[in-house]
Amino acid sequence: MRAPAVRGLGVLSGRGPGSGPAPIWALPRPERPGDRFRRATRECLLALAAVDAMLEDGKAPREAIAGERTALLYVTAAAYGASNREFIERRGGVMHFAYTAPAVVPAEVAIEFGVTGAYGILLGGAPSTLRAIEQAARLLDEGRCDRALLLAVEIFEECGDLYARHRRYTRWPLVETAACLWLERGAGELRFQSSRVARAPGPARGGGERFAAGPLVDLREWLDRGGTGPLELSGRWRDEHARLGWSTVRSHARGSAA
Amino acid sequence: MATPERVAIAAAGVVTPVGPDLEAFWSALVTGASGISQIERFPVADLRVQRGGEVKKLGRIKDWCGVPDCRATRLLIAAADDLCAQAGFRPLPLDPARVAVVVGTALGGVEEGERALAGDRPRRRFRDALYDGPGDRLARWLGARGPVITVSTACASGASALATGADLLRHDEADAVVAGGYDALCRFVLRGFNALRSLTRDEVRPFDRRRSGLLLGEAGALALLVRERDLRGPRLGTVLGYGSASDGFHIAAPEPEGRGLERAIRAALADARVSARDVDLVSAHGTATLLNDRIETAALKRALGPRAYEVPVNSIKGGLGHTMGAAAALEAFMCLLSAQRGLIPPTLHLEEPDPECDLDYVPGRARAVRPRIMLSTSMGFGGCNGALVLEAA
Repeated sequence: MRAPAVRGLGVLSGRGPGSGPAPIWALPRPERPGDRFRRATRECLLALAAVDAMLEDGKAPREAIAGERTALLYVTAAAYGASNREFIERRGGVMHFAYTAPAVVPAEVAIEFGVTGAYGILLGGAPSTLRAIEQAARLLDEGRCDRALLLAVEIFEECGDLYARHRRYTRWPLVETAACLWLERGAGELRFQSSRVARAPGPARGGGERFAAGPLVDLREWLDRGGTGPLELSGRWRDEHARLGWSTVRSHARGSAA
Repeated sequence: MATPERVAIAAAGVVTPVGPDLEAFWSALVTGASGISQIERFPVADLRVQRGGEVKKLGRIKDWCGVPDCRATRLLIAAADDLCAQAGFRPLPLDPARVAVVVGTALGGVEEGERALAGDRPRRRFRDALYDGPGDRLARWLGARGPVITVSTACASGASALATGADLLRHDEADAVVAGGYDALCRFVLRGFNALRSLTRDEVRPFDRRRSGLLLGEAGALALLVRERDLRGPRLGTVLGYGSASDGFHIAAPEPEGRGLERAIRAALADARVSARDVDLVSAHGTATLLNDRIETAALKRALGPRAYEVPVNSIKGGLGHTMGAAAALEAFMCLLSAQRGLIPPTLHLEEPDPECDLDYVPGRARAVRPRIMLSTSMGFGGCNGALVLEAA
């Protein structure tokens, strides 16, 4: 399959240990003016901020991604946990129920930036993100869109006590991340591979665990290092190990991680 | 342009409020039976609306050994058990690494989280509340070792899952895919829809002038998808095309003109390489909310043109409730069974037509028609719109 080109990539990343029972590097709730965001969840606001960062990285106005020729894909393993928990524990009194749906995170992006094209939402860790890049490449290759946005958001702080009880199931620290990747038609070849492996956390790596957002952080770091030539992204979740081979990453992205 | 790989729905399995298997489901649809009842599985006394499409009997499985006590997982596995009975394929007659699982859900295993936080479950069970947990358990139950994917496009999830499964076959990532949707009724979702005031105390009356809202239901619905060229036995039908589009309008309310649904329908017809004139049956989302049915009617008129007035349009939510992640898959199976049996199930409880909903909604009783090309539409929170085009076997 033809590899897509990177037009922009915005990454917001937790940068320091929080104060909870688990080692979580949290992101603050972004400020966003407008009454519409009064009840928006932190994960929604982080998604919007990631799109802002992506537009800045791609030096493009917000109008550049509006319309029905823009596809929007969203991946997360656990970002909905915070809103689900708030709705459960406040017994439905405060949280608008719709915000508990994973689909509402990309919906806020679609509403704010006028994105009305094809969409997809995958739930899972890093392999889902790699698969979503492949899906975006297909949408572009088949002419179903002119640009594809891949949004990944992971937040942990609200469920920190629960993650703390599962220390052996994941790698630490958990690093809250919101990222958005803007893909367009490119050149070269993209190859996705997935296989089942023994169920265990993958090898520890620098920078902590970011679930679905991990591959976009890896891509950001590679771009920031001035990466050229082939790129391989990989990730694990449950018992799946996936790899995405990108023969040539044609990138118009500039700047560094937000 | 190259002809796309044709993907067959070889068999289907379900567990629903109107019956624990595909035959019972079909029989209830055509006879107009209702699965709406007082909810018994969890406390509802504090809720304004206490009824829904609750599954009273989880299929044929007597021994749940090895399957966690998670309602969502058990709905999926009960549907898979029916699918296996229909298709006769457990243990898998294929290389397990070439069998994939794709499930759609609006709620995943959220009830596990709800119960863990309430102290009904050890908090360590909270990890089962991850929305991709039940799909993972299903893959293990089936012995499938290929890709395991969970999609969550709210109440369009079942359609997204069938389309994603078909894509895995077209791109040679698998030789067989078990795909569909599920969702369990639980306090979490019932409280949520009660708070939204979307639930009715009346019957669910899609497209009726007196309609006053939906009732929720629970179900599991799974299909066995294979490439048509690989299929040796009979099939239910073919997945011809799929389209999706975001409203970009509101997190919970549909766009008032139904433009997103219209785009999804047009994209699905284009993907299927058929025209509006080819469509013989529309399975509507048809939730019986004031907005949905009017908006959906308008979108169908624009997307199908004059054909919208000629083609039967039904909704099966009157008897099942809105089964969320399972809804679109169940509606797809209804379409294929209609084609196979030459009978279109009626829209239950539609008695007084709404002037703003002026299509042929198949009121009253089942209609003897054998459709060939069928369109199934779905809409969900966040402005998710999906449309599937199916072809009879």
